[in-house]
Amino acid sequence: MEKTEGFMKALKCRECGREYPLNATHVCEFDFGPLEVAYDYEKARQSLTRENIASRPQTMWRYRELLPIADKQPSVGFDVGFTPLLKADRLAKRLGIRELWIKNDAVNYPTLSFKDRVVSVALSRAKELGFTTVACASTGNLANSVAANAAAAGLKAYVFIPADLEEGKIVNSLVYGAQVIGIRGHYDEVNRLCAEIAGKFGWGFVNVNMRPYYAEGSKSMGFEIIEQLGWRLPQHTVVPMASGSLLTKIHKSYQEFIKLGLVAESKYKVHGAQATGCSPISIAHKGGMDFFKPVKPNTIAKSLAIGTPADGFYALKVMKETGAAADDVTDDEIRDGMKLLAECEGIFTETAGGVTVGVAKKLIASGRIPANDSVVLCITGNGLKTLDAVAGHVGKTREIRPSLREFEALIEAESKVNC
Amino acid sequence: MAAKKSKKQSAPKATSNSSPQTTRLWLMYPPKLITTPVIWEVGHKFNVMTNVRQASVTDEIGVVCLELDGQRPEIKAAIKWLEKLGVKVEPVEINVIES
Ligand SMILES: Cc1ncc(COP(=O)(O)O)c(C=O)c1O
Ligand SMILES: [Zn+2]
Repeated sequence: MEKTEGFMKALKCRECGREYPLNATHVCEFDFGPLEVAYDYEKARQSLTRENIASRPQTMWRYRELLPIADKQPSVGFDVGFTPLLKADRLAKRLGIRELWIKNDAVNYPTLSFKDRVVSVALSRAKELGFTTVACASTGNLANSVAANAAAAGLKAYVFIPADLEEGKIVNSLVYGAQVIGIRGHYDEVNRLCAEIAGKFGWGFVNVNMRPYYAEGSKSMGFEIIEQLGWRLPQHTVVPMASGSLLTKIHKSYQEFIKLGLVAESKYKVHGAQATGCSPISIAHKGGMDFFKPVKPNTIAKSLAIGTPADGFYALKVMKETGAAADDVTDDEIRDGMKLLAECEGIFTETAGGVTVGVAKKLIASGRIPANDSVVLCITGNGLKTLDAVAGHVGKTREIRPSLREFEALIEAESKVNC
Repeated sequence: MAAKKSKKQSAPKATSNSSPQTTRLWLMYPPKLITTPVIWEVGHKFNVMTNVRQASVTDEIGVVCLELDGQRPEIKAAIKWLEKLGVKVEPVEINVIES
């Protein structure tokens, strides 16, 4: 078993610790707790050294010992990850903090969001387990990523969506030849049906039966942050939360690198960011509760609009453990955050990134991230995907006739305004 | 178990819609329902077998993880009834639809 399963040991229940074989399964039979991949860290330690990592291609797979595939190489998404980590001095100045870094998954390959990380892992593992059809239920980034990566890997893909989703959102999936199925009905009904479909057909449903593997892909974002910071932990990381999975996996990635001796242990906080229009986790954390109450989403940050977050409980735990904060921002603050990042750093992020920037601004202003500290903001998706959210809020074109005089007049008026 | 089997045989037609199944759910209750014996009622109003696997109740919210065994239409009706009552009913995976 050891040999064929790479560095993985078992699937392990996060609640009771019972172990399960490394199959396409995701829930503990006893307490319904989610299953998570456990690794043989002693074995991983032998080859996952800074030197070895540095000698490998610049993709997320340079940390493959801690990613849940059995083979030496992934079969899907070899080029995903290792997105830029840039020092954002202009934004730092605007927000009033000593040091600020942007982890820019707005340019992740191939579909411009961090979801390519989780999907390349899920599909690679699905292929190892013998699946030829993969599926997901998604309203945006995940659907795009599954459709694209499945196409490249020669897998058949089904994407389930609520039938009332705007056309524009599915073009990005249809173009790759994915089978897109719109389900009419109340959101909760659609959600339950998708769970049933996932259980009934022998497919690799990336965020259902493949979820233990899928979710691990997010760790690569954290591994990269540590390496790109010059092998150190950031004092603060701000992470957008939908289900809360990414936040828990960033924390896990930091813990694993500490455990393997790849980074010196130091104090760090992983802060969570949500939209005020869908903030079950942030509300719970601010209220000191360890369980969230479901909410009905109403926000422009559609990619974070999950009213009943599956990993909310675990995200709350991580924030509590690391002494971190959570906060949320209004739609206007989200747009402002998007504009701020674009104007200061030339990075156009989607609404989720606006949430991250907006919440970081609040945390810095209130001293929850001290001005003298250093922070990394996780920017997880591309602004071209949510143009509607900012259209009409970003200034206007000024028109002139084809006359030099008119243009000169315009510039002159402008210079008067500027002084 | 035996009772369930005989039910299946006496069913008029065995379409995929009326085969016995096990459905795993998370129920989330608002405070006003926490003191009501909701699960007992489900077991009596509908022809389903209930099996509570885990539960936690605070002043703010009650969370129960429940297994329902029965014919698909009965399970669907039980879920509808719970939702009408104001209970949030999620599959064991909670949010399957992601963005
Ligand atoms: C762009 C973007 N950022 C962040 C998230 C949050 O992910 P998680 O569900 O892991 O909290 C999502 C999830 O869909 C997303 O699409
Ligand atoms: Zn368990």
